[in-house]
This record gives sequence, structure tokens and C-alpha cells, in this order.
Amino acid sequence: MTLADFPLIATLAMVCWAAGSILRFASRRFPALRIPSYLVMVAGTVLLGWFIAAYWVALERPPLRTLGETRLWYAALIPVVGFLVEYRWKVGWLKYYCMSLAAFFLVINLSTPDVFDKALMPALQSVWFIPHVVVYLIGYVLLAASSAAAWHNIFTGLRSQTDHQDFSLSHYLALLGFVLLTFGLVFGALWAKEAWGHYWTWDPKETWAFISWLAYLGYLHLSANKTGSGRLQWYLALSFLVLLVCWFGVNYLPSAQNSVHSYQPN
Amino acid sequence: MSKVSCGWFEDVRSFRLSSIVTLLVVSTGFAIQYLAGGVGVPVLSWPFNGVFLAVFAALLVLLGVAFRNKPFVVWLGGIPLGLSLIFGIAFLSLLGGVIPQGGMTGASLPARLGLNRIFSGWPFLLTVLLFLSNLGLSVVWKTIPFRPSNLQFMLFHGGFWIALAAGLAGAPDLQRLIIPVYEGRQNSRAYIPEENRMVQLPFSVYLDDFSIEEYSPQLVLYDPGSDRVIPGKSGSVAEVGKGYRAVWPGFEVKVLEYLGHALPDSSGNPRPADPENGIPYARVRISAAGKSVDRWLNTGSPSVRPGVVQLGRYFLVMFPGTPKVFRSGVVLSGSRGRKPAILEVNKPVEFDGWKLYQMGYDEKAGRWSQLSLIEAVRDPWLPAVYCGFFMIMAGNAMFFWKGMKRGGSV
Ligand code: HEM
Repeated sequence: MTLADFPLIATLAMVCWAAGSILRFASRRFPALRIPSYLVMVAGTVLLGWFIAAYWVALERPPLRTLGETRLWYAALIPVVGFLVEYRWKVGWLKYYCMSLAAFFLVINLSTPDVFDKALMPALQSVWFIPHVVVYLIGYVLLAASSAAAWHNIFTGLRSQTDHQDFSLSHYLALLGFVLLTFGLVFGALWAKEAWGHYWTWDPKETWAFISWLAYLGYLHLSANKTGSGRLQWYLALSFLVLLVCWFGVNYLPSAQNSVHSYQPN
Repeated sequence: MSKVSCGWFEDVRSFRLSSIVTLLVVSTGFAIQYLAGGVGVPVLSWPFNGVFLAVFAALLVLLGVAFRNKPFVVWLGGIPLGLSLIFGIAFLSLLGGVIPQGGMTGASLPARLGLNRIFSGWPFLLTVLLFLSNLGLSVVWKTIPFRPSNLQFMLFHGGFWIALAAGLAGAPDLQRLIIPVYEGRQNSRAYIPEENRMVQLPFSVYLDDFSIEEYSPQLVLYDPGSDRVIPGKSGSVAEVGKGYRAVWPGFEVKVLEYLGHALPDSSGNPRPADPENGIPYARVRISAAGKSVDRWLNTGSPSVRPGVVQLGRYFLVMFPGTPKVFRSGVVLSGSRGRKPAILEVNKPVEFDGWKLYQMGYDEKAGRWSQLSLIEAVRDPWLPAVYCGFFMIMAGNAMFFWKGMKRGGSV
């Protein structure tokens, strides 16, 4: 499996998500379509998961090095959060936001194709590479979902339809996302000690990871302090922007000149 | 939109006071920094940092236990102040995350305010000190008296306090030195980059062998006029090997034969050789406008001229691949004997209380470098910081569990 197959796989995945969503709406009229609609949506994600696995084998290294490669993981994982949330908490609307976000990532990858490159610089060849990056990926995915839920609450809140359950959804997604950010930060520090000699050097990437962590730490304390949930939805919706800077904006900041952590632009 | 509870007015006052105090602390920090003319915070090294930290912690416990109900102490350990300080620290980190750190010396205003050294400057230090007081008091309250239901809080907040306090207080005792050593030679002197001077080490390093393994090479077009390289369009594969094709406007290159490690024989034809000395060779077919020629390319070495092909004002060049592994085979000798070791990136080696890292080499010489740069690090406070890290992770795991369980009732 190489990148030559990617456009086909990506298109098929998006078709599955779109067709599944249409079937799901149709199933309100024709309940027999309910189960097939989920199978089709999940098939899109399974397809992407399979592509990642095959691409990993072909690359002989985990496809986690370039921004394009990490976008692949987001595209596969974000819908999973949507499906799990529906399965666990019976909240159905989140999965549509998740699939749209995933499709957005796939479209970026289709318009800026990556190069097939097996090279993995020595600093990345570590047992910490996969746990650190995967924990961060899942954390970002949960926080993206939390932000999507918060935007949803803001818009429905304007039409005053939000029920209590929807507030809790964005809250628990943020909480779980924060837990993963914390693990990612500590794993990163432990890895940095092995690779660069010190666990924390205020490198721009580290600094921004710390700022994002503080943003969600602030959220948890605001919420522990019983700040109104309407305001907290705005807070969660906007905190994700800080994460975005940390994720790929850092590379464009003046401070990034001497960063050791920036993703190599393919 | 906030619910008006009985404590609401108290809360607003507390938030207002906390924000004002945080602003004051940050601006006082900048004022001191400015008046000190860019001179940093005086550093306390062992044993003074240890004493300072012990006294600070004892004061917090005393304050938390003996004056638990005094309004000032309640405020000092409360969430409103904690929140203001979290945002204060986030703001300072934002400055440090946008403005390039290091560099910039002299008497310019940003330099006098320490904007290029945010994380070792007065504003950051004062804010963190108040933050540690706030966090410390909340930990004291959740710890005394002990209740198992507070364990998660204690581990997370206590771990963060320990890691932050030990990391900052211990920074002056951290030593990071660079040991340059040539193949077949021994060195016991090291360089301190920040202070630009050499020091004597309590041990010595003998470099037996330095070696680099590379990824496969890359085919590029080199334009000597503009000193630029133009990579070809190669579909989705960047790796040169048999069957590899690359296209540039006007012509195409195809690899017919590829040898990863070879050396020229007496007539200049490549023959397979051992990985230590051999270099990559590729026989390529260059086709343009219906005509084609076959040529050998190689990446070159100190003893073999690089094989390139001139194409008009360009050169078709095979660049060596990026390093895959670099390693130093060393023998370390100190007061407690000798120890042979292999140093690689991500695989540091402990010796006599120091940790030794493969850091770099002579990058101009690349694979043929005779020089290895080894970093020696000593961090006596590391166990305390790691203790904090592991407490954070334990508390974090409990937090995850609680979140999943409570989340079930959404
Ligand atoms: C890292 C810096 C932190 C500081 C300075 C800090 C500070 C504080 C303070 C002062 C309180 C009030 C304690 C009290 O009134 O008894 C508090 C409460 C709380 N903190 Fe933190 N905290 C920090 C990190 C965290 C983290 C990382 C978490 C998440 C695991 C967290 C979760 C909580 C919760 C849930 C409460 C409410 C506890 C309760 O009311 O039972 N804090 N924090």
C-alpha cells in the first residue's frame, strides 16, 4: 500500500460517511435502514484504519512523522470518538461533526500530497515515539470533539434548546482530553531526557504544549468553581484554537527558528 | 448567566482581588527586571536552594495548618487566585512562546525587560512562586487530615508542586557539558556552551570508533548558478533504488542498477564493497527528446570523486541520504575503573553519576566524520522531579477513571 492508493481510499471513506449519514436520516422513515447506516459509516473508518496499517508496513516505520501522516490518524480517530459517544452516552449528533472534521483533514491531505519517505531521524527512533504521539493524537481528537460539542451547544443555546446532557458531553470530553494531554506532556518530558539530555528546555513546541495544557487546566478550575455553563461553552469552543497553534501553528512563529521538535514539512 | 449562589459576591470580590494581585506581581517582575538592567535573577545553588525550598515548604504547611481560617490564607490557597495565576503564567509563556528566546543582547527595551529570557526572568519567577504558594496550600488542606477520597487530588496537585519546585530550584545545579573527541584519541576536558569555557572532567572518554548509517540517497538536479537543488517528480516514492524514476521538465531519469555499498576498481567501475567504506552507486538512464544515455552516479567520499552528470547548466547529483543511526564506541575511565560503552541517540549511558549522550559529529564530513560530540549531563535533582512526574501520572490515571465513571451518568 503506498500513497498512490490514497486518493481512492480517502474518497471511498468520505463516500461511506456521506452515504451512511444519508441512510441514517432516511432510517427515520424506514427503520430497517438503521443498522445498515451505521455499518456504512463505520466501514469508512475501518477502511482508513486498514490503510494506515498497510502504509505503516510499507514505510517500515510508524506513519507519525509528518503533519500529513498525523492528519491521517485524526481522520481515522475523530469519527471513532463520535461513534463511541453515541454508543456510550446515546448522543447522536456529535458523529456528524466528527465525520465532517475528518473529511476536512482528508481533503487537506488530498490537496497537498505527502512524499513516501522511510527516513526517520535518529531522535525519533525511540520506544517513546509511539506512546507520546498517539496519546497526544487521542487527546487532540477528544478536545476537537469537545470543541465541536461546545459550538453545537452555543448554537442550540442561542435557540435555547440545549439540555443538560449536552453540557456534560463537552465537559467530559474536555476532561478526558486533558488527562491525555497530561500524559502526553509527561511522556514527552521523559523522552526528552533520553533523547536530548534534559526533560524540559522551553523549546517553542514544549512551551505551546504547556500553554494548551494551562488553557484546559483553567477550564477544569473554572468548572470546579461553578462558572456558568454558557460561558464555559465559549471557553471550550475557543480553547481549541490554542491547541491548533500548538499543533501546527508553532512552525510559523518567529520563536520556531531553533526548535528541535517541529514536524518536518514532508 | 452564572447561577447566583450564596457565595457569589464573595467569589467576585475574590476574583477581582486575585486578578489585581496577579497583574501587580507580573508588572513588579518586569519593573525589577528593567531596573536591574537585564541582569537575571541571582541563582541559588546547592545547598542554598535546598534550604530555601525546605523553608518555603515548611512555611506553607505552617500557614495551612495553623491559620487555616484566616481570610487571607483562605484567599491565598483558593481557586480564584489559582485561576488568575494560571492565566498569568499562560500569558508569560505566550510571550516566551512567540518571541525567540536566547539571542538578542544589549540595551534594547525588550532585552532589558528580559523578553528574550522569559523563563529565567523575574516576572516568571515571582508569578510561579505565588503559584506554588497557592498550589501548596491547597495540597496541605487536602492532605491534613488525610482522607482516601482526596488521594487523586493529592497525587496530581502534590506531584505538580514537587516537579515544578524541584525543577526550578534545581536548575542551577544542572550541568550540561559538551565533550568533543576524535577517533583514536582520549579527552577529559569539556566545553560549557553558555559560559564559553572549558572545564576539567572527573573522567575521560576514549573514542574507539564513530560510525554513521544512512538512509538511501536522493537524486536531485543541482543548479550551480543559484546554488539550489531541484527535486524531481518521482510519483510518491522518495527512495532511490532499482526501478526508481524521476522526472524534470524536459527529461527523465530511471535507475537501472543500484549498489548500496560499492567502490571503484582500477578501471573506475563500481564493485560491491563492505558497508564501512562502500558508497552508493546507481546506473541511470537519462532520456530526453527521444534520445537516452546510461551513466554511473555515486555520492562521493573523501577518496572517491562524486559521480555527477552535467545536463546543460545543471548537474544531476546523487546526495547521500539522511543519517539513520550514528554511534560512538567509547571507553570511559574514571576513579571507579574503566567501562566500554556504545553511545547512540536515545540510548544514553550512565557513568560515575553522569549521563552521557551521543550529541553530534562533524556535519560537514558527514559519514566520514572523525569527530564525535558527546554531551555529559549531571542533574542531582532529577529523582525529585521524576517523583513528581510519577505522582502526576498516578493521579492522572485516577482522574481518567473517575471521569469515565462519572461520565456514565451523563
Ligand atoms: C497545576 C496547577 C494547579 C493549581 C495551582 C491548582 C490549584 C487548585 C486550588 C487552589 C484548588 C482549590 C482547593 C480547595 O479549595 O480545596 C484546586 C481545586 C481543584 N483542582 Fe486544582 N490546581 C492545579 C492543577 C489541577 C489539575 C491538573 C487538576 C486536574 C486533575 C485539578 C483539579 C482540581 C479540582 C477537581 C479541584 C476542585 C477540588 C474540589 O473542590 O474538591 N487541579 N486546584
